[in-house]
Amino acid sequence: MNKGAGSGPTAAAAAAAAQKQKTLMQRVETDIASIVDNFSQLVNVARVNDPPVRNSQESFMMEMRASRMVQAADSLLKLVSELKQTAIFSGFASLNDHVEQRTNEFNQQAEKTDRMLARIGEEAAASLKELEAHYYSSGHRTTQNSQQ
Amino acid sequence: MNGNLEISVDKLPVKRLDAIEETGAERFPPDVGYDEKRESLIRRIDFAWAVEKDDNKRLKKSSKESSSSATTTPWQWQNMVENLQFAHQELSVIIDLINTVEANDAVTVAGMTRPKALPNEVLSDLSVSAATKLQCYRHLGIYFKQSAKSLEQQIAKEARFYGALIRLQQNWKVKRQRVAAPASGNEGFTIDLFDNSLYDSAPVSRPSSLSTIRIDHDSAGMLAINLPPNSCRSFRFGFLGVQSGDSSKQCSKVKNSCSPRPSKEAKESVNDDECVREKHSLLREVHQAIFYEQVFDIVNREAFKQSLGVNVTGIRENYLQLGIGLGISIFLSLIPSNQGDLSVDSWVNQNVESGILPLDSHDGVKLAEEKDDILRKSGGYPNPLTYEIYLQQVFHEYLYGRAKNKPISTGTRVSGPPTKDGSGLLGHFCLSLAHRIFSNKVHVELENAVCGVPYLHLVSHPTWHSRTSSWTVFLKVPQSILHAESNSRTAETAKSHFRTNVVVNDDCIHVEGEGTPNVVGLFKGRSEDMSSMNKYDCDLADLPVIILQQVASQVIRWLHEEALMVGIKANRDFLSLSFELDQGETVSLVAHVDPEDMRGCISWWLVMEDGFAAERKLSIDISDDASDYKKFLGHLSLDVLYSTLMDLVSLCGGGSH
Repeated sequence: MNKGAGSGPTAAAAAAAAQKQKTLMQRVETDIASIVDNFSQLVNVARVNDPPVRNSQESFMMEMRASRMVQAADSLLKLVSELKQTAIFSGFASLNDHVEQRTNEFNQQAEKTDRMLARIGEEAAASLKELEAHYYSSGHRTTQNSQQ
Repeated sequence: MNGNLEISVDKLPVKRLDAIEETGAERFPPDVGYDEKRESLIRRIDFAWAVEKDDNKRLKKSSKESSSSATTTPWQWQNMVENLQFAHQELSVIIDLINTVEANDAVTVAGMTRPKALPNEVLSDLSVSAATKLQCYRHLGIYFKQSAKSLEQQIAKEARFYGALIRLQQNWKVKRQRVAAPASGNEGFTIDLFDNSLYDSAPVSRPSSLSTIRIDHDSAGMLAINLPPNSCRSFRFGFLGVQSGDSSKQCSKVKNSCSPRPSKEAKESVNDDECVREKHSLLREVHQAIFYEQVFDIVNREAFKQSLGVNVTGIRENYLQLGIGLGISIFLSLIPSNQGDLSVDSWVNQNVESGILPLDSHDGVKLAEEKDDILRKSGGYPNPLTYEIYLQQVFHEYLYGRAKNKPISTGTRVSGPPTKDGSGLLGHFCLSLAHRIFSNKVHVELENAVCGVPYLHLVSHPTWHSRTSSWTVFLKVPQSILHAESNSRTAETAKSHFRTNVVVNDDCIHVEGEGTPNVVGLFKGRSEDMSSMNKYDCDLADLPVIILQQVASQVIRWLHEEALMVGIKANRDFLSLSFELDQGETVSLVAHVDPEDMRGCISWWLVMEDGFAAERKLSIDISDDASDYKKFLGHLSLDVLYSTLMDLVSLCGGGSH
């Protein structure tokens, strides 16, 4: 990216990138905090209470906390996928370099192939000339003519 | 209830005077409140009979137990049974009370207090609660394990998918479509195979349907590319009516490569690298199929323009038949890749039989096929695969070389599409093909002519131009004659060879060679000093005769020069060399050319003429070998001709060796 081209688009792009980074960090922190908090609550309700009704209430809460933990983990996984997609569609500098390198390689290969074809043609022409000379001055042709 | 029934009579619910005062005022008893009334009603319920009954039962049991205690041991659960029975009785009493009270709607139960639990009951409740909670935690543990396992699988799948996608992105254009509700297995990734630089140029009007490839997941989470069946088509070129066995080779290359693979085959891939390579190969074949479609599209559009050497003789979906002149028909088609195993002829026959719409009469096609049969037998057709490659190369240079402003590779071999004659790409290709077939015929004729004359050599000159061919027919003077001559004179004046050049441009044959006497030189008296080059065009049918005549005139010239070398005056005509004898007689060495003569294409006659021969010339049968004025010498080699010449020279009685 040409950073010296202009301040407008580059600054806006940088600001957008910073904002997106901030958003992602917030999501990460939120998810991790959710996992830690829910796990703490799960540990805290390990105490057995006297009223059995309270125990039932706590069991429902434990299930809810566990679901929240898994949901937070899934959210983190999706965030990782988004980061990978961002990496795929943002790393154009390296991609362009790679494309240019491949283009140069293919151009060189094409030129090499052309030279090879030219050499093959020249060798084929020389061989043809030699073979024709040998054939027309060979005894085989002489024998054929005498048979005629 | 057993026993006597006691009846109690309620007072009538009438207010009775309690007292009357002296003044006459009546005093009634105070009204009973609602609560007081209920309490009084409850008190009236007498459970004495039940209590007495229970007491009697207890007394009886205790007397029985005391009497039998000496003989039997007490049951260990007896107390518990009794306690339960007592509790049952009390409970039944209370239930009766409640039902009675509620039926009379007189009183309702306000509340009950739970009796104080015993220590063992407290502990049992605590243990049940602990066990329940433990069970909850165990369920949670199982739930976490299952979730962890599924998340790990998802991570592994995504790692494989994105790893493969990143690797494919190195070579292909990956795009992402924002979908609101992505379906399972598809995040909206696509691969764009269309070259945007072509879209702005005239040749390509619209992108192919295969330009956008959707990326999916397979069951293992790996990147998958599913194409509809028969979506990829391969390009096919051939001569109508000619079996082309080699052309199926290229079909087999793309055989079933673009068809959707079943999941079992996907699972057979050993590792991700192979899977990525397979996808890369598949994309390459789709890219190739798009190029074939573009080529076919351009060929179709150019075929209907006014172009040199191209006539559309048949058309169908994905099939085009062209007549390129000389009675030759070619076809170009797009065949689905899964039909690559079918022979080209069968596919072509299907099109022919299923009603191709010919633009001219069907007889033209038949005539073309007959001509093609002749050529096939004579081997005049080039390998269709080579021209299929050439066609693709021409259009590839045009499409991608022009779009990227890349100079078309000229080199010394590739002939770019000429635009001077306005033939266009397709016209140039058809003219090249027609030229190749025509030049093969020319070559065959030249070979036949050279084979019939032992002292001729044919040399091919590769021009590296697709529409020009060149040969040289060499007439070589034998070394024995040259060595003999070198003793007598300088070898510089001796010609060791004569050449005749044959150049074919498209379907025009141009012959150039030494031969007939130079007219200008004749005025100057020394024709041999001027190099006489004949340049003329001819057609294929006359080519053998012209070549042989050219060669024969070169031989005559050589003999003439040899005769002059030895000091003998000789007259040279086109195909004859004449010597003057004494008494005005002339002896001539005459060449006769016949391309069909199997014994030799050039034969020689010795003709003697006297002063009166001119009168009898017209009546002489020239085919009579035993004529007094003509003698057939046969198909002589150059050595023999030279010897014959020397004999004639000595006959003339002049010159020295």
